[in-house]
Amino acid sequence: MKRSFRTVLGCGLVLLASAASAWAHHSFAAAFDMNKPVTVQGTIVQVRLENPHSWFFLDVKDPNGKVVRWAFEAGTPSGMVRNGFKPGVIKKGVEVTIKGFHAKDPSQNMGMLRELVLADGTVYGMFGSQQGPAAQ
Amino acid sequence: MTSRLIAGITALGFACAIALFTPAVVNVAAGQDAPSTPPGPVPRLADGHPDLSGVWWGGADIGAARGRGARGGGRGGARGTPPPTFMSLYKPDAAAKAKTLSDKDDPTLRCVPTAFGTLNVSLWDVGAVGQILATPKMIVMLTETYHGFRVVPTDGRPHRDDVPPAYRGDSVGRWDGDTFVVDTTNFTDNTWMSAEGRVSHHSDALHIVERYRRVDANTLEIEATVEDPEVLTGPWTVPKQTLVLAPFDRIMSLNCSGIETQALMDAAAKQSTGK
Repeated sequence: MKRSFRTVLGCGLVLLASAASAWAHHSFAAAFDMNKPVTVQGTIVQVRLENPHSWFFLDVKDPNGKVVRWAFEAGTPSGMVRNGFKPGVIKKGVEVTIKGFHAKDPSQNMGMLRELVLADGTVYGMFGSQQGPAAQ
Repeated sequence: MTSRLIAGITALGFACAIALFTPAVVNVAAGQDAPSTPPGPVPRLADGHPDLSGVWWGGADIGAARGRGARGGGRGGARGTPPPTFMSLYKPDAAAKAKTLSDKDDPTLRCVPTAFGTLNVSLWDVGAVGQILATPKMIVMLTETYHGFRVVPTDGRPHRDDVPPAYRGDSVGRWDGDTFVVDTTNFTDNTWMSAEGRVSHHSDALHIVERYRRVDANTLEIEATVEDPEVLTGPWTVPKQTLVLAPFDRIMSLNCSGIETQALMDAAAKQSTGK
């Protein structure tokens, strides 16, 4: 069941906007600046599959070499697990790149996780695997 | 204009959710645990009443096929007349109070459950999956999200007057033919309603009556009426929800720790409004 990239991308963006307002535990639009994409590369410190939303914490070196802790909010744990995300698959110390949207408060090193990419190219989305069964 | 835009985006989101995720996610879940029960007659308890036991969802979980969540289709008004929405029934004071509340005030950010359910299904509370364990004397309703439970006696006994108000209230039940009727009162007033996918405050006079009917082995229909004389001008008829048996036989135990989410929302609110 192949789906075009444009369909996936378009629907993904629509889902971000719609799921946020009607179904999430809070409105993502209220918490994040959708006009401010952010990409960080760092080392996973902790993954918490918890309600109301899951969080990925990572240490990121800023341009001066100083390590800064970032936190990215992802989906609900039940939704992620049932979407094929296996707990423990992303462990402490793993190098990742996370793309998302920055928190509305620019002083917070927080964001909404849109895409998490491992060194081997494996991509996870907000609700789990984007290259697993849900995307086939 | 804004509400129309939001409604349009949401509807499109439904379609996209179905297009992108539904079949695959069901397959993923199907491989996790026991296979789904094949369609068949309604299973029954030893006393002859329908057995409501099972894990019930709308066909998928949040983030996957939300668009296939429980199908709401009930009509509370006359033919051609849309039924009143929860918020259209607000008393003036309640409407004014609602305007003072925003996402950052949502108690679910602090892991406090809702009084009803974010998708108009009390069994699911904040999530999209719930489990029923039925015996002739008691029916236990377990919500996966936030560890919620209701233990509902089936013998038609009155409500207790010796238990404190609770987030999920005090429930009693009785059989009306093959329909299980659950009456819930004694709520605290520090949760939100989450009616129609939107959050709302309510009072401790909240009174919810639900009617559960297992129409076949795989399908559970739920109708409900919500009254709150301190907030609403009349009863709100919840659109009928149709749940299906999930292809797994146990819900998960999930922790809740809303610290980061609450901090995020508080900061966002300050950024937006200065409050």
